[in-house]
Amino acid sequence: MIVQCELCPKECLIKPGQSGECRVRINIDGVLRTVVYGYPCSIHIDPIEKKPLFHFLPGSKILSLATVGCNLHCRNCQNWEISQANPEDSRAMLCPPKKLVELTKHYGCPSLAYTYTDPIIFYEYTYDTAKLARSANIRNALVTAGYINEQPWKQLLEYVDAANIDLKGITDDFYRRVCLGTLKPVQEALVLARESGILLEVTNLIIPTLNDKPEQIRELARWVKANLGRETPLHFSRFFPRYKMRHLPPTSLKTLDMAREIAIDEGLDYVYIGNILSKAGENTYCPGCKNLLIERKGYTILQNRLKRGCCPACGKEIYGVWQ
Amino acid sequence: MTRRKFIQKLVKAGSVVVLGVCWVSRKASPRKFVRAIRIKRYPGSVETLRDIHKQGKWSG
Repeated sequence: MIVQCELCPKECLIKPGQSGECRVRINIDGVLRTVVYGYPCSIHIDPIEKKPLFHFLPGSKILSLATVGCNLHCRNCQNWEISQANPEDSRAMLCPPKKLVELTKHYGCPSLAYTYTDPIIFYEYTYDTAKLARSANIRNALVTAGYINEQPWKQLLEYVDAANIDLKGITDDFYRRVCLGTLKPVQEALVLARESGILLEVTNLIIPTLNDKPEQIRELARWVKANLGRETPLHFSRFFPRYKMRHLPPTSLKTLDMAREIAIDEGLDYVYIGNILSKAGENTYCPGCKNLLIERKGYTILQNRLKRGCCPACGKEIYGVWQ
Repeated sequence: MTRRKFIQKLVKAGSVVVLGVCWVSRKASPRKFVRAIRIKRYPGSVETLRDIHKQGKWSG
């Protein structure tokens, strides 16, 4: 019997013995099964700035994990070796939710990140681990493309503390051509995440010739401000030629600086550039008095001048989870 | 055949057709799932936990 997976907007119809587009949700005897539950292909301790999360426990370490698979197939994917891999061809480690929580505690990490590929496709593993982690006072962060249906997204958000969600482009055409997805579900997931009250940051990877035009960046910044709020941190990230997009050059610092200026000009309070070293693009400034609040270099915090989450000069409360 | 018997037969035949169509459509339409059930055995190779303390080489 054919099954239909209603986890993500692709709503794959899966014949017996076959998997959905994500490669990890399989129809076995008319029942939908996940083959990656408890089997991450990668577990590491990263600086939280690497996610990137700049307004969530800055300077802390975060236990980060992924399984293979993804429901999008971005032609520029930086992690395509695991995101586009079949479980049968991959190596994984046995690590059920309880073990993950124990590891997080053992290494003294205050939070857990579901990242690298997309936690949506290992939904049940993410959900159960996040629930267990919450009960053990560990916080949960998602790094995702946000390509998920409303009902499972709302259920998962109950156990999520922070998320960095990709907004890969601002046109449906971009999503269809580059990611083999669609824009609207991502925008809806972003709005739902914001409404749920979690700490939300947004990343836009700027790819030369595809989404680097000033008017596209302006439109994206306007959408973020109008729908997610001016305080939502926006990261413009540098593209490197990978996977099926080796013919394009890396994004220049000039383009990233231009994007940051446009987004600030549109009224966003916290705009960063990433995947590249820059003078000011990684720092947090007070949107009120423009004082430097957090100075960063790469994934390192050089100074953090926040006082209980507020600007020490003007007292303005800064959006974030600081402790 | 009286009119009453004819109508009874017609109703029975109609019911059988409706039930048949429902059964076929139920069989033909997919079973819908949001949550998937885990399987115990990983289809790829399984190795021991390693290099956790190191920073990940993957983006994100």
